[in-house]
Amino acid sequence: MKLTVNGAVHEVESPPLTTLLAVLREELRITSPKAGCEQGGCGACTVLVAGEARRACLLPLAALDGAEVTTVEGLGTPEQLGRVQEAFLERYAAQCGYCTSGMMMAAEALLRSNPSPSRDEIQTALGGHVCRCTGYVKIIEAVEAAAGGAR
Amino acid sequence: MKAVGARLPRYDGIQHVTGRTVYVDDVRVPGMLWAKALRSPVPRAEVKRLDVTKARSLPGVHAIVTHEDVPLNVYGHLEALGVPADEPLLAADDVRWKGQAIAVVAAEDEATAREAVEAIDLDLEEGEPLLDVRKAFDPDAPQIHHWGNWYPHFEDGMDRRQIRKGDVASAFDRADVVVKGVYRPAAIEHVPLETQISLSVPEAGGRITIYSCTQAMYFSMGVVAAHLQVPLNRLKFVGGTVGGGFGGKVDTASETVTALLALKSRRPVKWRWTREEEFLASSTRAPWHMEIADAVTSDGWILGRKTLTLHDSGAYARFSPYGLTKHAFHHLGAYTIPDVHFDGYVVFTNRVPTTAMRGFGVTSVSFAVETHMNRIAEVLGIDPFELRLKNGNRIGDTTANGVVLHDPSTVAVAQALAKASGIELADDLGAMTNAPRSGALLPEHLAAQQVVNGKEH
Repeated sequence: MKLTVNGAVHEVESPPLTTLLAVLREELRITSPKAGCEQGGCGACTVLVAGEARRACLLPLAALDGAEVTTVEGLGTPEQLGRVQEAFLERYAAQCGYCTSGMMMAAEALLRSNPSPSRDEIQTALGGHVCRCTGYVKIIEAVEAAAGGAR
Repeated sequence: MKAVGARLPRYDGIQHVTGRTVYVDDVRVPGMLWAKALRSPVPRAEVKRLDVTKARSLPGVHAIVTHEDVPLNVYGHLEALGVPADEPLLAADDVRWKGQAIAVVAAEDEATAREAVEAIDLDLEEGEPLLDVRKAFDPDAPQIHHWGNWYPHFEDGMDRRQIRKGDVASAFDRADVVVKGVYRPAAIEHVPLETQISLSVPEAGGRITIYSCTQAMYFSMGVVAAHLQVPLNRLKFVGGTVGGGFGGKVDTASETVTALLALKSRRPVKWRWTREEEFLASSTRAPWHMEIADAVTSDGWILGRKTLTLHDSGAYARFSPYGLTKHAFHHLGAYTIPDVHFDGYVVFTNRVPTTAMRGFGVTSVSFAVETHMNRIAEVLGIDPFELRLKNGNRIGDTTANGVVLHDPSTVAVAQALAKASGIELADDLGAMTNAPRSGALLPEHLAAQQVVNGKEH
């Protein structure tokens, strides 16, 4: 099976019913997606598949041959942060950090399809993502900032 | 003072937003095994048979631990504070809550560990559980804890935390109205996004490196060392990166077990609880039952308070006697009441043991007191802010347990609350400060307990 992750092509060996989350974390050692619930309920494992936000814990490898996957590692580096990363950092949108990867990937997917979302659209896009630290306000503000500056 | 008022970047922010923070689950070591637990499927039972022979012989299974493998199985989290030990790390003769761990398997992968758990021969004889603190004191209630249904080891052998101050009977005689309320906040699971997890690595020379999600590193190190009966220098804890805790990771939930499994299998062992386990078996904020009766005057003074608190500890004591003590200290809220009668019990039930969560023991009674203040205002037909500001703590007031207040903030906080809520306070209330009581704010019932210039009147 071929999988392109953050632009790099990998031949993966995990069995076909392995979840994308396990392939990324255990085989490819890409650990930004987190196993928060492993049943699609919390959003911490969210990655982009062909540009769309998907729950990596629910996707079997068999359905992904040749797919293009993007994780937080593909958004930017500490030296050159992506726009969503920069906004999350500056707006204090990450506290414990465990939901942050999934939140940022959902935000990235939203901004790619809708460069200037309303607050309601941001809330809808992040609706299935659980954060227990922030109370969500700073996360929503960060997505607004990433979309084009503070309002 | 460069930091005050400045917007400083989070010290760990750059790692978080680049996905580079290393949580316990992100640590990889060669040869790592995965752990899975056999947990009680029922809230109360006698263990009639526990046989891991078949499970141990399955291919890919490297170690199984039960109560027999724990050098010191029963250890109390708060023994240093005088709370005796009552809780086994792994259940021995009986189980007292649904989800209590009985045996834990370390195997090549999680699926193999799960199969081995299913192969453990367990025979339980169910008993009648006690699930409601209000029934714990009934003569025919099931007796569910070897100490009785409530904690009997407060100072001087008392079976409750009690406070007696002033003359509460007289306060109720003098009252125009008695306002009663019952408050029952429910259990709350912390739901950290990172479930309970640890990874223990056996090192050459007998040391163990423990990657831990604990909120309390040295405390957890002490807990593991006590169960294992080893000196602290045998343990190296790696922690400080917690994927959400909120109090729930003060308990040392998984570290001791992975350490035991690592010693037994001579392999690194990781135990990552599932979300279901987190809900079922990780400790919660306690449910509380609070009955408050206040002796009040028709012009809005609270003369006396009687309180009965039942703190649902779950199946074992864990931190609850300490939580109830804090609860007792704070049970008047931010208000001054001279005549006080408080009885609080740590009650055992066949529920998951309860623990700290954001204001351990205090948030429950703050909720009850503030709701009760609104109820009093409603009964008397007076402004709830007037009631709070009148009875609010001032310099020289004393708390239920005799602490003299030097700079209480009740008045300022109530005024700020009114402002933030868009409520205009009457001039006299808006101008109030926390200065020592005098004139109309020093009625007869408070005069006796004032401390001014360090002298009690």
